[in-house]
Amino acid sequence: MSEQVDQSKRNMLFGAAGLLGGVAALAAAVPFVGSMLPAADTLAASKTEFDVGTVESGQLVVIQWQGKPVFVVNRTKELLAQIDGHDEMLKDPESREIEAVSAAWMTDENRKYRAIKPEYLVVVASCTHLGCIPMYKATKGRKDWGDSVPEDWPGGWHCPCHGSLYDISARVINDSPAPHNLHLMPYKYTGETSVVIG
Amino acid sequence: MLNSIMKTKLFAWVDQRTGADAIIKSQLTEYAVPKNLNYMWNFGSLALLVLVLQILTGIFLAMYYKPSAAFTSGGYTVAFDSVERIMRDVNFGWLIRYMHAVGASAFFFVVYMHIGRGLYYGSYKGPRELLWIIGVVILLIMQGAAFFGYLLPWGQMSFWGATVITNLFGALPVIGEYLQQVLRGGFAVGDPTLNRFFSLHYLFPLLLAAIVGGHVHALHVVHSNNPEGIDVHNAEEKINFHPYYTVKDAFGVGVFLLFYCYIVFFNPQMGGFFIEVDNYVPANNLQTPPHIAPVWYLTPWYTILRSFPDKLLGVVAMGASLGILFLLPFLDRSKVRSSRYRPIFRQMVVLFFVTVIILGYCGHSAPTPTLKLVGQIATAYYFAFFILLLFLPKFEKTKPLPDHI
Repeated sequence: MSEQVDQSKRNMLFGAAGLLGGVAALAAAVPFVGSMLPAADTLAASKTEFDVGTVESGQLVVIQWQGKPVFVVNRTKELLAQIDGHDEMLKDPESREIEAVSAAWMTDENRKYRAIKPEYLVVVASCTHLGCIPMYKATKGRKDWGDSVPEDWPGGWHCPCHGSLYDISARVINDSPAPHNLHLMPYKYTGETSVVIG
Repeated sequence: MLNSIMKTKLFAWVDQRTGADAIIKSQLTEYAVPKNLNYMWNFGSLALLVLVLQILTGIFLAMYYKPSAAFTSGGYTVAFDSVERIMRDVNFGWLIRYMHAVGASAFFFVVYMHIGRGLYYGSYKGPRELLWIIGVVILLIMQGAAFFGYLLPWGQMSFWGATVITNLFGALPVIGEYLQQVLRGGFAVGDPTLNRFFSLHYLFPLLLAAIVGGHVHALHVVHSNNPEGIDVHNAEEKINFHPYYTVKDAFGVGVFLLFYCYIVFFNPQMGGFFIEVDNYVPANNLQTPPHIAPVWYLTPWYTILRSFPDKLLGVVAMGASLGILFLLPFLDRSKVRSSRYRPIFRQMVVLFFVTVIILGYCGHSAPTPTLKLVGQIATAYYFAFFILLLFLPKFEKTKPLPDHI
């Protein structure tokens, strides 16, 4: 029997059948893997509306966008003044290193504010290190915060998990484990104070 | 192909640590199978395929399904809404759910064909008695898994089906009421029932997978029967499972998938046979639907249940109709296995298949006096078949068996 076998033809058939079977298996995997991606109703929940006018001066609120926390801060004149004068302490003072920390509406003037309207900062509240929510420590120096912040603390955020520090424009301070400034998300004003995030 | 893989160094490394070479040879490439198996022998491998499909699709459905009877703001329940969410919002959710629901029916179809083949060709007889008995255990677990799964969408049929079946257990004397409460976790089918049924619906397929392993192992000890029903001893009457029957099984898989995919994509509800229309109405514990029947694959036993005017007797008869399958290898004492050489048995077993289909039809239809009588006659024959087998060898003249296949 075996000497009658055309081995090369048999190998070709094995190869062809295996190849088609592989294509079919891959195609069959598509719906299963696809089902694990966000469902339509999850995607539909990806826009959040918020009225920043409800945030008192100096106050920080945390809202949700796509299940992620978002900081909205109403920055007073004093807080806005804290933005300047410490660029040498920052890893990325102009928010240019990656796309997620920058935005199309940024101009040379408002780049340091990282906000469409300087008084309202809206940023993703997840530390760029491993995703914890940093604590809001707005005032300058150690007066209110003790030695949990450096002596020349410009005011901003301090992450409780691994000690990353951010200034009041959510720009990461040197020597923090976090690599980047807090991310921005797309948002726009649809009225004087009403904002649509996403 | 497999040969060249088995010659590689990597395979040698694995073999040294697992004995893979000996396993592959004894179970596949040198596992001897009678050369005359017909296409009825394809249904075993198809059952395995459907089991894998059911487990796979079930795992993905469980990622989105929520077993809770709590009400949602829309006025439905969490469980019902989560199924509708799978159908509407989850990517390919409709496909995976239809694969699972159609798969349940496909599983029973394939397994019933497999059992019918075993009956017709006498595969349950010595030395394969235990193989048959393990198979009956698999059937019972399948029915349990199907019943638990049917509650999960929390529609009207789910709810009232579960109510009826849990009431069956309540008919048993002494322990009945207790057993019923253990199943329901309350005094009626409700949220605790739904939770435990989901847990059990996930457990039973794992049991199935393990017992199917035992079924295959038992088969590989006693080897396959064949259409002639005679023992095969000569090497030239046998061929190796791989590649000969793996190729034949693969062809069967192709044909099966053709039908399966047609139903999944074009007719997943099968006119209410595979997914009942009433189950798109959310469960309402204050109103029973006007016509209530189990899914097609449970209807034969449902007919046996309602053929008896006495509640307890009906429940016992239904239990006995399944339990008697365990005894079949010991009731049928004829030395001849295959129907091909048993003229009377052949007629009896074909009539038995017809009877089961009639029972199924009666159970699916709304009860009328005529259908009730038909169901009772069919029930009588169902049991008579097994009892007659006891006496059949006394008067059946079997045909002479061939020496070889």
